[in-house]
Amino acid sequence: MSQPEMDAQSDAEIASEPHVVAPEEHSGPSYLTVTKTIASWAFTLDHKRIGVMYLIGVLFMFLLGGVFALLLRTELFSPLALITPLFADTAEAQADLYNKWFTTHGAIMVFLVIIPGVPAALGNFVLPLLLGAKDVAFPRLNLGSFYLWVIGAIFFIYVLFSGGLDTGWTFYTPYSAESGTAVIPALVGVFILGFSSIFTGLNFIVTIHKMRPRGMTWFKMPLFLWATYSTAVMQVLATPVLGITLLLLILERTLGIGIFDPRNGGDPVLFQHFFWFYSHPAVYIMIVPPMGIVSELIAVHSHKRIFGYTYIAFSSVAIAIFSFLVWGHHMFISGQSTTMNIIFSGITFSVGIPSAIKVFNWIATMYKGAISLNTSMLYGLSFIFLFTIGGLTGLFCAVLSIDTHIHDTYFVVAHFHYVMMGSGLIAFIGGLHHWWPKMTGKMFSEFLGRIACGLVFIGFNLTFIPQFVMGSLGMPRRYYTYADKFEIYHQLSTVGSYIMAAGFFLTAYYLIQSLASGKKAPRNPWGGNSLEWHTTSPPPLLNFHDVPDATDPYDFEHLEYNPSTGNYDTQELARASE
Amino acid sequence: MNPLMAILAQSKPSFWLPAPVSNFAGPVDWDFYFVYWVSIFFLVLITALLAIFMWKYRAPKGAHAQSHNDHHLLLEVVWTGIPLILSLMMFWYGYRGYVAMQTPPADGISIVAEAQKWAWNFSYASNGANVPGMSDDFNAVRAKVRSGEFTSEQAAAEEDKILEKAGLHVPMGVPIDITVMAADVLHSFYIPAFRVKKDCVPGRTGKLWFIANEAGIYDLYCAEYCGQGHSQMHTKVVVHETVEEYEKWLEIAGSYDETLPFDENGKIVWKRRGCISCHSIDGTKKVGPSWKGMFGSMRKFTSIGTAGELIADEAYIEDSIRFPMNRVADGYPPQMPVVKLTDKEILWVTEYIKSLGQNSGATENPRKEN
Repeated sequence: MSQPEMDAQSDAEIASEPHVVAPEEHSGPSYLTVTKTIASWAFTLDHKRIGVMYLIGVLFMFLLGGVFALLLRTELFSPLALITPLFADTAEAQADLYNKWFTTHGAIMVFLVIIPGVPAALGNFVLPLLLGAKDVAFPRLNLGSFYLWVIGAIFFIYVLFSGGLDTGWTFYTPYSAESGTAVIPALVGVFILGFSSIFTGLNFIVTIHKMRPRGMTWFKMPLFLWATYSTAVMQVLATPVLGITLLLLILERTLGIGIFDPRNGGDPVLFQHFFWFYSHPAVYIMIVPPMGIVSELIAVHSHKRIFGYTYIAFSSVAIAIFSFLVWGHHMFISGQSTTMNIIFSGITFSVGIPSAIKVFNWIATMYKGAISLNTSMLYGLSFIFLFTIGGLTGLFCAVLSIDTHIHDTYFVVAHFHYVMMGSGLIAFIGGLHHWWPKMTGKMFSEFLGRIACGLVFIGFNLTFIPQFVMGSLGMPRRYYTYADKFEIYHQLSTVGSYIMAAGFFLTAYYLIQSLASGKKAPRNPWGGNSLEWHTTSPPPLLNFHDVPDATDPYDFEHLEYNPSTGNYDTQELARASE
Repeated sequence: MNPLMAILAQSKPSFWLPAPVSNFAGPVDWDFYFVYWVSIFFLVLITALLAIFMWKYRAPKGAHAQSHNDHHLLLEVVWTGIPLILSLMMFWYGYRGYVAMQTPPADGISIVAEAQKWAWNFSYASNGANVPGMSDDFNAVRAKVRSGEFTSEQAAAEEDKILEKAGLHVPMGVPIDITVMAADVLHSFYIPAFRVKKDCVPGRTGKLWFIANEAGIYDLYCAEYCGQGHSQMHTKVVVHETVEEYEKWLEIAGSYDETLPFDENGKIVWKRRGCISCHSIDGTKKVGPSWKGMFGSMRKFTSIGTAGELIADEAYIEDSIRFPMNRVADGYPPQMPVVKLTDKEILWVTEYIKSLGQNSGATENPRKEN
């Protein structure tokens, strides 16, 4: 342990001496203020600081990936070359540039934003708090994961400055074996990011197994923990396959060993099998933790016990298991055998059932609740709507005959954006708002929050609904130029993306503003009862002044709102203050 | 045929789907609309419940829930069971339609579709005719329509002219057996109007079949990302009314006019067989070296890891076409596919390259107009 860290800990121990004042007035240093040097952040072993650093990194990468999305949406506003000529002279170079944009957008959003977004950024901050623990099981490994993420991100930045990457985020061979762009640095970057993800998963599995507080049995855990746990298992089991695959591709490119390139006797379809064996579970690595967030958002902001707890918990586990058995549905037209296609199609539908179960249970949770329509809840509601569309359009893709038509068209593009962005990222943003007061100790502007959420919601649908239509009409994906009949859909889509961007910039504005001038956050501003709401906002270095016992995370009845502090007090406290 | 299929059979494009003009379009569209209406039902149901609940149960801060019900076995069974049954039905429809697509009848007309960066090439089994997709010519027409140079009638006339010796041609009402191949990287053979698609995988062959139901001209796209020219790798499918008409076309389409000078036929080969995608004739550096002034020049290359240089003579050019990976020109990626030209085609192309020795040649079609 580094010296500043030790100081920080002893400080915190002094601060957590028995206290007599009411918890709200407790004024020990928070994890943000306990030490102030840069080194105390860079070498911190505190899960909250690591979570915050992840969050800053992920949001920066979200901005970068978003800029590329806006660039390519702008280019597609017209089938003519629109903005690529600003950066490249010849028509060939302009087409190459577009290909680099969509590749960069996809690779950054998948590997650097959505996969680490919820588990590593929010999960790191929240998970030990939900457990009433001081930290994750392996704090040093946790810091190591973060630095691996940083190194992976640096590789990606290097790729951007060394001519870009044009293989698509999927690195399909043999194109990726012969592309003249910076494929190897990108592969090394993804390889390193994979280890970051594996270590985080490992850490969370051990933490959830070993560090639950007294009284928290498996079925008394908040549902976010079930989701994170299922995800962690997928991260640990699936990611090594990606690592090996990318390593093989690196060997193929550097040493000419024929594994995936048919010119050297390799098999390109084998690459697709390997790639999707990871990347299909990866889709659930991206969506299951957001589902966990939404279970918390809907219950807490409806102030009602979550409906069908066991069904939601088991559906996360079911999705994690099934996710390993459906990778072949990315390859229905790849030349994979008919029998395999039929089997994979059948199993794919099994993923739809647990997803449907979750949606219906969330809605039932709202029934006869006391719903606060605040920003976090609006994001939760947006999630349910967008995820419903994402899930239902997934059915089209799972039906073999329909997929033959819509595979590799914009229909699929729209479908996975509804799942990965409309669901995954929207829940991430919702969770960010939900835990923002806990992280920063500040309240943000609910007024601007609701407007921004509305902009994002409208913009998102305007961006992607036209893509469903043009996709089923036959517009293939990854097209730099297109037939004139698709122009109107592309234009609507581009306008939608601008509205969405306005929503996100507004969000960035009021969140940053809240840091400077936001109202001080009370301990429990939303009326949640999981353990993170039982410590101060922001929490002290070691999270809790006293080691807490497990609470019932979905029992909101004993909480009374105190208008003068904006806090939800326990009834004992509420009575005491009367 | 049920009434819904009868409506769909009228082959007009709908809001969601292109005009259904093959034997698979009807069944695929039926499956599509089955899933579509199920989806619409659930989307409306869920959205309505969300809207009603968020309005009806909205409450000020501090309000308590009206109910504490947190489980209901029957509800769980219902909302597990109904989606399960519906998804089994969907699986069944998709399975049925897909198996039909995988089971070609024995008496089909056999055509090989070969994809390369960034061109299509069709070989007709009945007479061995080799007909190109001519993507670049179609792109040029598209460009002229956009710049206002062509009206849509002129464009159609120009496309008809190109299609005399290009494109995938099939007769109506007869099973067509397509074997797909790729020369370099992955491509995908996609005709939206027919609802068929198959990846072209280098080193493997793929199969698909269809019966075209209506005469006309339809789009054929590459649906699997293949690099720079991916979005321009499109051509047309022509459905002829009768087999006779189709056979008449086939007889003249596949042949070269052997009375032309060698270099002129070489230029046709350059366009037809897709050399045009990577080799310019005006000195522009594309994926491969330009042919302008190449003949007789000293070429620097890497041959299986060792550097070398040779004069580009007839033998050098023939060897480079037949075995492109033997010598990879310095400064260019090792990406040239093996395009199986006939001996005559190689001869003509070589003469054409010779003819470009000192001349600057014609300008090319830009890939995407500015």
